[in-house]
Amino acid sequence: MRILLVEDERKVAEMVSRGLRSERYAVDIAENGDTGWAMAHTYDYDLVILDLGLPGMDGRELLRRVRVRNAKVPILVLTARDATESKVESFEAGADDYLTKPFAFAELVVRVKALLRRGPANQSNVVRIGDLEFDRLTQQVSRGGQRIELTPKEYALLDYLAAHPGRVLSRTMIVEHVWDQSFEGLTNIVDVYVRHLRAKIDDPFPVKLIRTVRGAGYRLADEATT
Amino acid sequence: MNTRSIRFRLAAWHAVLFVAVFAVLGALLYLSVRQYLDDTLLETQGRRARQIAETLLVNAPRTGEAYVVSEIKSLYSPELSNRFIRVSRADGSVAYVSGPPNDQSFDPSGVPALGPGTAAASTRLQKLDDGRSLLVASFRAATAEGSPYVVEVGTSAEPVQRFARHLLVLLALGLPLVVAVAAAGGYLLARRALEPVEELAVKAENITQHNLSERLPVTDTGDELERLSVALNLMITRLDDAFSNSKRFVADASHELRTPLTVIQGELENLAADAHLPSDQRDRIGSALEDVERLGKTVQKLFALSRLDAGEAQEEWIRLDLAALAGATSDQMLLLAEDKNITVTRDVGSPVHVMGDRARLKQVVVNLLDNAFKYTRPGGSVHLKVHEASGRGVLEVADTGVGIPAEAVPLVFERFFRVDRDRSLEGDGAGLGLAIVKSICVAHGGRVDVESAVGSGSRLTVTLPLAAG
Repeated sequence: MRILLVEDERKVAEMVSRGLRSERYAVDIAENGDTGWAMAHTYDYDLVILDLGLPGMDGRELLRRVRVRNAKVPILVLTARDATESKVESFEAGADDYLTKPFAFAELVVRVKALLRRGPANQSNVVRIGDLEFDRLTQQVSRGGQRIELTPKEYALLDYLAAHPGRVLSRTMIVEHVWDQSFEGLTNIVDVYVRHLRAKIDDPFPVKLIRTVRGAGYRLADEATT
Repeated sequence: MNTRSIRFRLAAWHAVLFVAVFAVLGALLYLSVRQYLDDTLLETQGRRARQIAETLLVNAPRTGEAYVVSEIKSLYSPELSNRFIRVSRADGSVAYVSGPPNDQSFDPSGVPALGPGTAAASTRLQKLDDGRSLLVASFRAATAEGSPYVVEVGTSAEPVQRFARHLLVLLALGLPLVVAVAAAGGYLLARRALEPVEELAVKAENITQHNLSERLPVTDTGDELERLSVALNLMITRLDDAFSNSKRFVADASHELRTPLTVIQGELENLAADAHLPSDQRDRIGSALEDVERLGKTVQKLFALSRLDAGEAQEEWIRLDLAALAGATSDQMLLLAEDKNITVTRDVGSPVHVMGDRARLKQVVVNLLDNAFKYTRPGGSVHLKVHEASGRGVLEVADTGVGIPAEAVPLVFERFFRVDRDRSLEGDGAGLGLAIVKSICVAHGGRVDVESAVGSGSRLTVTLPLAAG
């Protein structure tokens, strides 16, 4: 998988490309819009990550041109500008996703994966993490064969954590996916719900599945097997 | 009709001025016409009197009074021509007086005698006892013998007075017409003159911060309105500059703050991912990451506030049920209250429709409930109520929390304000939550108020305009 990263901030570009390479993606960096356009024009990329505020050719213009040339390549827009309209404009210009800086790297990876997968993953209805098991259709959860009753919010939280097993998910990501942006100010809402979820799926069992990563977020994984 | 509009006032002034001018001119006309008619009549009488005196009376000693009288009768036939003629001797006795006139317009015998010592020629307006008046001219005829006669010739003032009355009636009748024409004319003139002003006003009203690049049409008329529109356009240009400067500043500030934050967060995450890191160092990095995240959130909230203040609040503008929104939002937060053993009661059963941006209004509910939960001790309660009151949608969040000291109440909606760091039972957040609530309410044409008593709790009340229909 080859990714084109168009980003003029050298440090951001380095940080992002290093992280993506460690996830085994090939990353090309373009430091301005014109180079970005030349590269997007020359090679066939599987994904374009594009910063909107670029020297030379403006990010929006580049976005429009890339989209005109290749209707299928997924485009993830990054921006440090704060304006409502840029979000709307970006989607109108053909962006597939939009991420405002600063972001947790895990968030970027999750989005990149989702974009490269194009559409829902081959999610089987039954999810297993260690001896935890749940059915996405009936929303029934059990661990070690023991039925566990979850509230709808607790279930949504578990479902989201389980969709990215082994990956640290930040509170912001969790709030945005399980609640919505209006709840973003309430970081402790995640902690409270995670605590309640833990009380049901972890506390009664010797092996803990939900891990807290200080400063980063939560991770759901069967540590024994990973 | 707006009685304070320039149009109305101009029309009124126009009418008043016209009426004043008309009244003054009318009075002058009336007076001078009367004067002229009186003078003309008197002059005619005077001429006759002089004629009689100089052609007949001077010869009276020779011809005898009887001849004079017969001459007067035959030459002037006063009764037939409705004229008054009287000839008096020097001693005041009457030598001749004409009979009652044909038209009975006066009674000759009722005309008072002319007093002695009158000038050689005089005129007067003689009032009669029956209320009628006579215009009389007298002439003193000195004969060679020196026994002077006085001859008086008069005619009824009635026709002149009738004419003057007619003129007065005409003027009086003309007055309302003048008022009407002046008012209507003034109104129409003012309307024509002010039409461009109205146009300017409508165009100016349509210019908001979203279309500051537009300008008012400038009429190339060289008049005051051209000056006004040019001046307004200059003002809009200055506003446009100020707005785009502040927009650019916000965008630049955002970029300058967010870019290094991205790098710091990324590098710290990278470091923390190192499996060989000693746990105390991992902890310190985690702590730094927590603060980076907090800083990121503060930056985001600040920019959200500045966007709200710049009037860019509305990503959408729809009719929505505030009660249902508050109910659904609180559902998602109940565990927070439960976790602190706070009882939540809700009164959100009847729909209250308002216009607005769903995400923003949801933010209001989230921030208010979060605030209430934060400042309420375990065992307390929070009441959420949405209802209509005096044509407004009202959302109330009342808690039995620690309350706000009276001196801090006016400040709770200020940015970064926190009553007391110790009071914050869960010390996260930057003190922007209620400032955001206020900005959202204001952007929706509403308001937020707070009542509070230390120790017994606070009540925050959001008031929003109801959706039409």
